[in-house]
Amino acid sequence: MNTKHNRQDLHSFLSQHPSIHPERRAAAVPIMQALQKERGYLNDAAIEEVAHLTGLSTTEVEELATFYTLIYRYPVGRHVVQICDSVCCSIRGADELLVAAEKYSGVPLGAVTPNGALSVLPSICLGLCDRAPAALVDGEGLGPLNKVGLEALLRSLGEED
Amino acid sequence: MLGIIRIDGHEIPFEPGDNLLKVALAADVDIPYFCYHAALGSVGACRLCAVEIMSDDPDKVPRVAMACLEPASDGLEVSVSAPAAQQVRQRVIEFLMINHPHDCPICDEGGECHLQEMTVACGPAYRRYQGHKRTFTNQNLGPLVHHEMNRCITCYRCTRFYQDYALGDDLGAMRLRNEVYFGRFQDGPLESPFAGNLVEICPTGVFTDAIFRQHFTRVWDLKTASSICPHCSVGCNILPGARDGTLRRVRHRPHPEINRWFICDRGRYGHQYSEHTARPLTPRVAGATITYRKALIAATEQIKAAGDRIGGLGSIREDLEGNALLRALLNNLNGIFSAFNDPELEAATITAVNRIQNSDGTPSLTEMEQVDAALILGDLTAHAPMIDLALRQAYRRGAQLTVLHNGPTPLTQFAVTTLPVPPHEMGAYLSRLHERITASPASKDVQDESTAEIAERLAAARRPLLIGVVETLAASEIIALAQLATALGTDARLAYALPGANAYGAALLTLASRKTTTILEAIETGQIQTLIVAGTDPLGDTRLGSRWRAACQRLNTLIVLDCIATTTTAAADILFPVAAWAERGGTFVNYEGRAQGFAPAFKRLELLPSTAEVIADLVQCLDLYLPDAPAVLSEAFPGYQAPVPGSAGSLMPVHPLPTHIDTATRSDHEHHHKHWQAALTTWYGDEELASFAPALMKLAPTATALISPAAALNANIEEGAQVKLRGPVGTMTLPVQLDNRVADGTVALTRMALVQLGVGHGDLLELEPVS
Ligand code: SF4
Ligand code: SF4
Ligand code: FES
Ligand code: FES
Repeated sequence: MNTKHNRQDLHSFLSQHPSIHPERRAAAVPIMQALQKERGYLNDAAIEEVAHLTGLSTTEVEELATFYTLIYRYPVGRHVVQICDSVCCSIRGADELLVAAEKYSGVPLGAVTPNGALSVLPSICLGLCDRAPAALVDGEGLGPLNKVGLEALLRSLGEED
Repeated sequence: MLGIIRIDGHEIPFEPGDNLLKVALAADVDIPYFCYHAALGSVGACRLCAVEIMSDDPDKVPRVAMACLEPASDGLEVSVSAPAAQQVRQRVIEFLMINHPHDCPICDEGGECHLQEMTVACGPAYRRYQGHKRTFTNQNLGPLVHHEMNRCITCYRCTRFYQDYALGDDLGAMRLRNEVYFGRFQDGPLESPFAGNLVEICPTGVFTDAIFRQHFTRVWDLKTASSICPHCSVGCNILPGARDGTLRRVRHRPHPEINRWFICDRGRYGHQYSEHTARPLTPRVAGATITYRKALIAATEQIKAAGDRIGGLGSIREDLEGNALLRALLNNLNGIFSAFNDPELEAATITAVNRIQNSDGTPSLTEMEQVDAALILGDLTAHAPMIDLALRQAYRRGAQLTVLHNGPTPLTQFAVTTLPVPPHEMGAYLSRLHERITASPASKDVQDESTAEIAERLAAARRPLLIGVVETLAASEIIALAQLATALGTDARLAYALPGANAYGAALLTLASRKTTTILEAIETGQIQTLIVAGTDPLGDTRLGSRWRAACQRLNTLIVLDCIATTTTAAADILFPVAAWAERGGTFVNYEGRAQGFAPAFKRLELLPSTAEVIADLVQCLDLYLPDAPAVLSEAFPGYQAPVPGSAGSLMPVHPLPTHIDTATRSDHEHHHKHWQAALTTWYGDEELASFAPALMKLAPTATALISPAAALNANIEEGAQVKLRGPVGTMTLPVQLDNRVADGTVALTRMALVQLGVGHGDLLELEPVS
């Protein structure tokens, strides 16, 4: 995926963004998304790159990168399950689901399974309160969840290559 | 006044647009709060300022609202004491305290912690929460500010100050949920010249004073007194705190027209000079330490022997009393007095003061925040940091800033137009601008677009400000700036950042007679035998240091009074160590001409008289009859009354000299192709006293030769290459750094480099690549 060709494309795409976006902070978001698509997550060097491209300081980029739940600052698995633990989901049992998720995946929240297949992360409200307790599975909403369903889900995702 | 609100029965008047919290605090009615700050406004982040508001409709129940977000309106009935409001506040504190460590006994903030006070005032006395507390990793934020993130209550004051108010971009709010983190992208020193204000703005112990921490004491044990910052001509009001004969820290003290809630980091951390290990603390005669009495006797003998062949140098950082008494002594002895050691700086400072005295007065910092356009000559951040902060506020309100600079200056970030101008071309540029402003539309030269733009912007402004840094301007350019102000009409305001905390006072004392050259020449020709130097370092001067050093070889006796170890104190035959500013009382006259008194916060164990006291003792030993400092001052300035420390200060009586006595010269030299113009490039910590503050000095930029990329290309020099610089006194080799903020044909150098080369700002020097 990391071919030279891709990288050049990305850079020409990235360098156009600041001029399209009058507000530099707004330009940072699509740039971060593009870099994350290529690399899976944003490491410190990527933050510096975004700062360079947008003219923002590294601290300003870090503020944005760590605010958005869909931007990852640490490596994630090929599949990402984000389980909501905000008010509605919490009332409906999200905390237990998070504990269970660690057991089913075999790694702590935020860590990647040894085969690189899966990460489970807690999340703030996903806007799926009507389906609480809810989760985002590779970007798709899912809920209401229960332990049985979660176990099946995590086992199947965790075994995939 | 628009109306009245009632808080628990008290009737309180308010101004339109005020919120309930502001109204209450102004009337000394307590409403608990965290995130509101007068300078930063309301955001409603902490939810502590809950109050109950009655409805107009008696059938409706009262509602609980955030006082900081609720506009005051006439007749509003508010209750702070209502049980519903009290309960909200108690819960808020209980939640905030869930993660807060119970470390008050070892927390630097203890004793002046807003969180501690609010918890005692509103919160439950015991913790119900039994779970794990959230913990953070702290960052190393450099030598000035200590970081302890676990204590954070997420009020956002720090970033609102750092980013929104002071326009810094290296401290921010990161992450989300209950892990919001206030810090930098990575460890490293905070970059803002105003970073130290975090220590005061944070309502808890997240950001604390890293210097105070090294020699800590509980704040209730500190001796304090109303004081004035000695590090520049702005004259910010401060509160030094001392214990056991040592100075521990400096905080701001509000002055409604100057610094209000803040000070710069030079003002906050420069004080370490008075604790410097090299500071002279015992009198010396011919290199040997001696008692104060014996030093007085030795000095008396020499002064008597010299008769009228005596000179005295006062100082722009020495207080009004010390300068005035020294002048009175010299007058009495028929000697010569000057308050400057460089005639060009003398001419520039006196010219600036004279122009201010001939104008309608110079704007205060709060007035500067209201201007809608400014023309800035030089690096305000380095020479008057809090004026920079005031202009950042003007910029936030939409003011258009134009900066003419010789080298890099932080304010260019916020300017609509920035123009690098070589020192020698500044005068010509200002007269072009003047022509452009005064010329009839038809005769306007259309060639020079940027000049036209600047001129039009200034002419169109409702309230333009013209401000220049005196240390990097020649007298002629100072006049030219004043003429621009006149050309722009009565709404234009004129100000100068002067070269020292009491430069205005020093200039007033020497307004009518400029004697620096006379003294120097008299020493060189042997007409002066004994020189008394008070609080200045002529031998370490950039341009004239070597000439002073040579001249002083001819003296019989060099008597020096100072509180820091300089080249001049090292050469002194008789040395009187004097009290540093926090150890004595005195008066500084700031850039506005505002005389402000400062009181001693403490005494050291050593006997350290003030400069004025040493001179008074000399007068006595000499059997002379001279009035005391207040009498000398009221004689020099009819109508002068010593300003009381802690008061708002008083404007010095104005004695404008006609402006035609301004001499307008810049010592010009033949141009040669190998010659470059030296430009003083400094940073906010660069000042004579503060240069003895070790922690602050850790942040000093490394010495390089800064030149513009275009000039580098011309001279075939690459970034990082070594160049040899040759001045009249010495040579040095420095790496080149390219910076497009440096003017053409100009090499921007640090003060130390200028001293070593023996050149002043604007002087010529040779530069060649080292092969
Ligand atoms: S660090 Fe201090 S100022 Fe900043 S949000 Fe936390 S408590 Fe408030
Ligand atoms: S701006 Fe000047 S007077 Fe004010 S705190 Fe800074 S150095 Fe001191
Ligand atoms: S609280 Fe979980 S989706 Fe809204
Ligand atoms: S002061 Fe009103 S919400 Fe913080």
